[in-house]
Amino acid sequence: MKTSVHLKLNKRQWLQILCRTSSILGGGWFLFEQCIMDVLVRVFPKGDERCFKLFNKLGQLLTVCLFLAFYSTRIFAESKLLPDEVQIHGFLTQGFFHTSDNNVYGQSDDGISPGLTEIGVNASYQPFSKLRFAAQGLYRRAGAVDRGSVRVDYGLADLTLFEYDSGKVGIRGGRIKNPFGLYNETRDVAFTHPTILLPQGIYFDRSRSLMLSADGGSFYAEQRTDFGDFNFKFNVGMPSSDLKEIKTIVLAKQNAQGSFDTKPAFATQLNYELNGGEYVLAVSYMDMEFDFNPAPGESLRRSTSRIQPLLFSAQYNGEKFTLTGEYEYRWNTFGNFAAFDGGKFVSESWYVEGSYRILPELQTTVRYDTFDMDISDRDGETAALLSFQKHSAFSQDWVFGLRWDITPSWMVRGEYHRVHGTAWLPQADNPDPQKGIQDWDLYALQLSFKF
Amino acid sequence: MTLDNNHGDFKLQKLRDNKPNFGIILAVIFIFTAFPPVVTAIEIVVNKTASTSGYSKVDIRAIFTMQKRLWPNNKQIKVYTLPDGSSLHKEFVKKALNMLPHQIRRVWDRMTYSGTGAAPIELESEQDMIEKIATTPDSIGYLNSKPDNENIRSFEAQ
Repeated sequence: MKTSVHLKLNKRQWLQILCRTSSILGGGWFLFEQCIMDVLVRVFPKGDERCFKLFNKLGQLLTVCLFLAFYSTRIFAESKLLPDEVQIHGFLTQGFFHTSDNNVYGQSDDGISPGLTEIGVNASYQPFSKLRFAAQGLYRRAGAVDRGSVRVDYGLADLTLFEYDSGKVGIRGGRIKNPFGLYNETRDVAFTHPTILLPQGIYFDRSRSLMLSADGGSFYAEQRTDFGDFNFKFNVGMPSSDLKEIKTIVLAKQNAQGSFDTKPAFATQLNYELNGGEYVLAVSYMDMEFDFNPAPGESLRRSTSRIQPLLFSAQYNGEKFTLTGEYEYRWNTFGNFAAFDGGKFVSESWYVEGSYRILPELQTTVRYDTFDMDISDRDGETAALLSFQKHSAFSQDWVFGLRWDITPSWMVRGEYHRVHGTAWLPQADNPDPQKGIQDWDLYALQLSFKF
Repeated sequence: MTLDNNHGDFKLQKLRDNKPNFGIILAVIFIFTAFPPVVTAIEIVVNKTASTSGYSKVDIRAIFTMQKRLWPNNKQIKVYTLPDGSSLHKEFVKKALNMLPHQIRRVWDRMTYSGTGAAPIELESEQDMIEKIATTPDSIGYLNSKPDNENIRSFEAQ
C-alpha cells in the first residue's frame, strides 16, 4: 500500500530528474577524466602511448560507472520510492591545489593538481524506534598518499538503551568514527568545515587513517538541561593499521619494509552546547598504540609506539560571526627513539579562526594555526640530529579563505595559505625529506555537492 | 430615486477625487518585489495521533534537532522539514526554534555524515508537508497556517 503511494511520480518530476542528472553527469565526466589521466601519467611516467590510451578508456569507464552509481543513488533517494525509515545521503568533492614549493595532494608544485576527490554515500535505516543501522561508503583519492580507494567509512548499529524526557543513553557497535575535536567525525565532508584544509597540526592528513575510525563499540549519553546540552561519547576499537604515512616519522628511517599492527584504542569526548550550538565547548582525548614489526633481515628493531592527544575546543556560532579555537597537547612515545629520553616527547598545536558571513551564503575566513612536533625542540635542532630538516619540526600557517554556498547543495570555496615550516607535509607526495622548502604558499580551490 | 442617484453621483465624485496615485502604486509594487513580504505566521503542525500539550519551546527545539525522539506514548516522532532555501523554513528556525538556519544545518549534517543520527526528512513544498502530516501518524512539521484538514492539528508550546 505504502509503496504504491510512493511510486507516483509525475512527468514534471521525471523531467526534472532527467535534466539534473544529465547536466551534472556531463560536467562531472570532464572533471574526472582529467583527474584519472593525471593519476595515470604520474603512476606510469615512462609508459608508452598505447598503454595510456587503454588506461584512459578504462579510466573513463570506471569514472562513468562511479558517477552513474552516485547519481542513481541520489535520484533513488529523491524519488520518494523509499519508505521514510530509510534515508540516503551523499557528497562529492573535488579539490585543486597549487603550491609555490613542496607538494600537497599530488604534483602541486609548479602546477595545478586536481589531487583530492572524495565521494561518499550513506544510508540510515531505522526499523524500530530504538534501533538504527547506518553505513557510509567512501571513495577517496588524495595525491600520492591514496591513489583512489573505496572503503567503508562507518557501518554501525545504534541501540538506544533508554530514553527519558531530557536525554538518552545508548550503545553503538561496528565501525565507528572517532569523536575528536569539532571536525574529526566529518573531516571528509567538505560542507561541515569552514576551510578546504583543516588545521593540519590537529587534523593531520598524515595520521588520518589512525585517527579516523575504529572497529569496536561505543557508549554515548546525552543530557539536556536548562543551561545547555551535554553529550558524552566513549569509543573503544581497533583503528586501521594502514600507517605508511607516519612510518618515516615514527621510525626516523626512509623506506622501512616492516609493517605496523595497531592495538585496541580508545577515544572519548565530552561536548557541551548552549543555545542550540551558538556556543560549543568540547574536550577530547584519545589513546592509540601500535607495534612495528620489522621485515626479515631489516636492521630496525621491534618496537611499540603510543600517541595520546588531548584536545580542547571552543566555538561561537553567531549570525554573521563565527569564532573557533582548538588547543592540542599530545604525548608521544616512539619506540624506535628509545635512545632519546625513552622516545618520549610532547607535541603542541593550536589555532584561532574567525569567519564572517558577508551574506548568508558568502563567508570569509581567516585562521592562524601553529604546530610544534616537540615542545622541547621548537626550532628543530634535535630533528636535525636525526637527519630531518630543521623546519620539519614545526609549521605556522596563515589562511585566508572565501566560501560561497551557491545553493544548499552546491558549494565552492577558495583559500590561500602562507606556511612557515614543513611539519605536516604528506610523505608520499614529498618522498625526499631533504627537499622540503621552509616558507611556501598554497592555493586551493574546491567544488562540493551534497544531497 | 433621485436621492439614490444623487448619492451615487456623490460617491462617483469622491472616487474621482481620490484617483489612485500611480506613483504610489509603482512604489508599493517595487517595494514588494524588492523585499518579498516576510512570512510572519508560523504554525507547528502535527498529525492528529500526536499529543499536543505540555511542550515547551525547548522541547520543540529538541524535537527538530533530533535529540528528543519519542512522544509521551513512546511512539517515535517523525520530523519533516522544508528545504534550507525556503523562506518559511528560515522563519521557522529563527522564530520557533530560536536558532539560525546555519546552526541547525550544522547539527543535521554532523549526524547524517558521521552516522550518529538521522536528520529530519526534507519535503519539497508546503503542499507536500500538508499531505505528509495528514497521512503520517506521529508526524510533526510546520506550515504558514493551519490547513483545513481534520487529520492535522496545531502544536502549541507553553
